Amino acid sequence: MIKKQFTLSARRARNIIWNAAGRYDFEPPFMAFFPNGNPDNYFNMVVGFTQKWLDLPRIWDFFAAYEGDRRAEEFDEYLWLGLENCVYEKEVRERPILADLRRKRAEQFYVEQASLSRQQMEYQSMPVYTQQEARWASVCGKHAPILTPKEKQMAESLRFPGELDTDGVLERMRDFLTRFFRYVPGESVTAPRKAGRLALRLLRREHVRRDHLLIRTGTGEGNHPRAVSLRHEGLGRYVPPTEEDEKFIRAVFGRSMLSEPEMRILENELCTEEDALCRLWVTKGDDPRGIDRESADILQSSRRQQERNSAFYQQNAALIRSSVKSLSAKLDTILSTYFKHMPEKALTGRISPENAFRLPVLQDGKVFLKDGEEIEQEIFVDLLLDASQSRMNSQEVLSSEAYILAKSLTAVHIPVRIFTFRSFRGFTILDMVKSVSSTECRGTSRYSAAGWNRDSLALKALGRLDDDPMLQGKRRVILIMTDASPNDSAPLGATERLIPREYDGAAAVKATENAVRALRSQGIRVGAVFHGNSSHIDDLHQIYGHAYVRIRKASQLAQGVSDLLLMLLREMRND
Amino acid sequence: MEDLYLFLRNEGIDPSLLDAVKKFREDHPAPTESASRIPEPEYFYYGKKTWELAIAALLAGKNLLLAGPKATGKNVLAENLSALFARPMWNVSFHINADAAYLIGTDTYNGQAVVFRPGPIWLCAQQGGFGVLDEINMAKNEALAVLHAALDFRRSIDVPGYEKIDLRSETRFIGTMNYGYAGTRDLNEALTSRFAVLDMPLITGEDLNKLISRRYPAINARICDQLVKLYEELEKKAESAEISDAALDLRGLLDAIALMEQGICSGDALDMCIVNKSFDAYERGLIRDVIAARIPSDLTREIVFGK
Repeated sequence: MIKKQFTLSARRARNIIWNAAGRYDFEPPFMAFFPNGNPDNYFNMVVGFTQKWLDLPRIWDFFAAYEGDRRAEEFDEYLWLGLENCVYEKEVRERPILADLRRKRAEQFYVEQASLSRQQMEYQSMPVYTQQEARWASVCGKHAPILTPKEKQMAESLRFPGELDTDGVLERMRDFLTRFFRYVPGESVTAPRKAGRLALRLLRREHVRRDHLLIRTGTGEGNHPRAVSLRHEGLGRYVPPTEEDEKFIRAVFGRSMLSEPEMRILENELCTEEDALCRLWVTKGDDPRGIDRESADILQSSRRQQERNSAFYQQNAALIRSSVKSLSAKLDTILSTYFKHMPEKALTGRISPENAFRLPVLQDGKVFLKDGEEIEQEIFVDLLLDASQSRMNSQEVLSSEAYILAKSLTAVHIPVRIFTFRSFRGFTILDMVKSVSSTECRGTSRYSAAGWNRDSLALKALGRLDDDPMLQGKRRVILIMTDASPNDSAPLGATERLIPREYDGAAAVKATENAVRALRSQGIRVGAVFHGNSSHIDDLHQIYGHAYVRIRKASQLAQGVSDLLLMLLREMRND
Repeated sequence: MEDLYLFLRNEGIDPSLLDAVKKFREDHPAPTESASRIPEPEYFYYGKKTWELAIAALLAGKNLLLAGPKATGKNVLAENLSALFARPMWNVSFHINADAAYLIGTDTYNGQAVVFRPGPIWLCAQQGGFGVLDEINMAKNEALAVLHAALDFRRSIDVPGYEKIDLRSETRFIGTMNYGYAGTRDLNEALTSRFAVLDMPLITGEDLNKLISRRYPAINARICDQLVKLYEELEKKAESAEISDAALDLRGLLDAIALMEQGICSGDALDMCIVNKSFDAYERGLIRDVIAARIPSDLTREIVFGK
């Protein structure tokens, strides 16, 4: 998954920090960048070394203790200079190149200073600048700046020795602030961790400000201010969808691509038992039009999202193209080994009895069959995208990933069809953003998230949408991009209960598991591309068994999806 | 062989196992017609416990399945074992379309009649070789079913329409398989039960250090140490799924040192043999960052191979 909260540079910075720390299981509290947006490799390594050699959470708590102070950024700068010296001395013994990297960083300091604009110069703190200059001058052998006695003492105090442990470093940090700024962090250092409140803080001047990096700060749970507020109606009586609701659905999502009788047959077949209180809507998004304020708002919001999706695509065009290329290549390799090779005549191989007479009669030795170069491809892929509100903070990412998948599959001549699904006002809506016959995959930019997700009904409905002529004779694979957290406002339609059970939690997971099992029993392979929280892994496993991959970032998409397809193809082959 | 034998003694392999291997070799001299198939390993496998387990399993007449992730030395060990036991080696690379004919043999016309042309498994069985079944889990189960009789107590291969042959007593099969990432799957039980399964550990830093130092005795010890740490860092990054395992290439690291020995500077050598193994520009950037934090890009042969 392309983590949109971070630019590529920020991800690179995080990787440098993790590598230096020797572990990847923590979120760095600080990242360092140059004004041009490139990661400051050396200082990111320093952050990583701090994690490696010291107790970073305690150091972080110290930073958090003065978070509200107007001098906080200045303190950060000083203290990181102190930490830099300490962890440098610790690390250089086992990483000899560090001395060279430090010297280059010192030289870079002067290059950066020379390129600062006047506004940037005014923005920076001169006392901090003086300390930095004193440090870097000594590192790269330049003339040290002229320092006042106090500045000299500060510079000396900021040379935290490498022998210090975490307690020693904290003592030095506390001592520094008290001695030179009369600031006493006091109990804050031992106070409960304030990590939750301390947002990702970036070292000033060398670093890009947070706003430029963090496009959004949602939790991924749909709590972004723009998110439509949805909630269960509690235990009150549930009213099944009305004609008004149908008009609303038609207005927002476009007219149905199935005729009324076809839709009725589909609903009669599928909207039974646990989905008895629901309805279905299958659309291509044709002719949506606002009929009231709410529908007009939603349509406008969808249009804005489409623009954002397109903009995101443009911004990440290089990465997306590279992902398409990579995934196509992997798929091509898989397909060339997994699909049936058309037999061809040869001088060795399996004897072909019907041609055996040619040997004595015509002296034709080619009466054997071997696997030829030509490959018969026989699968068809349906891509099903969860477009519920929980995906609100990943819309552009999911849109791009769907594009990557569709484009790659199309490139290797596998027919692919894409649906998004969501539930709203009791309707489960399947919106086709790419048909089988179309080779254009940019329809994925229509992806926008809102509503609930009744995964079980969406999967069942998709399983029944099999009358396209291009599907005939092909084996179906459904890839669902999901967070494995089915949830709908329309309750389970179990009639024996007075108060219907909500469609959420274990019950919804079970319903989805049953739907997947039913599809598999029909010979349809179902695999999940998972983007959710770790807390849903168990549910994911329950629903899809082993047939899933977890994607955390774009670079994993190609490998993950190709592995998943490989797994599904192997299962098919062994059927 | 003496070199390998000495190496294993120095590695502290149980001498009684090595004596038993000697006796095996004396009892089963290598067939002259396939002597050229006895490998002469370029690299030795490092890992005392793995060696002991593998030797013991083969001495006990078992077939061996080496299972583990990329770059754990499965094929190196298989080759080393063939060399140690002085058996001709047949390497069979499996793929999804590998079938019985590919393994056992095919029909062909010799100008007068349709005759059987033996495949690698057949030849291996007849000549008492070591058959290395590479990436065995890539093949369809039904293709492997033809091996069942060869791998279990029956130790025979029966091809309909042709004679049945019994495996020579010194014949062994060594399977290799990757596992641990989505897309791979286990072998079926019937096949797995015919092997002793050896879970191949990742090479330790200490063993990698020895491997490099043995191959390139003149390498500067500090630089060797940094290269080992670089490999460990790449390993960790791949484990954390920040990069694919394309760049986690032990052969690539050794090749890079070989290039440095030829006078290519460290930056170019590592680019060619490690960084460029990834075809994703962004991933290459991440790999370069890891290298830049360990190895200067301008190391010359004189520095790398100097005191």
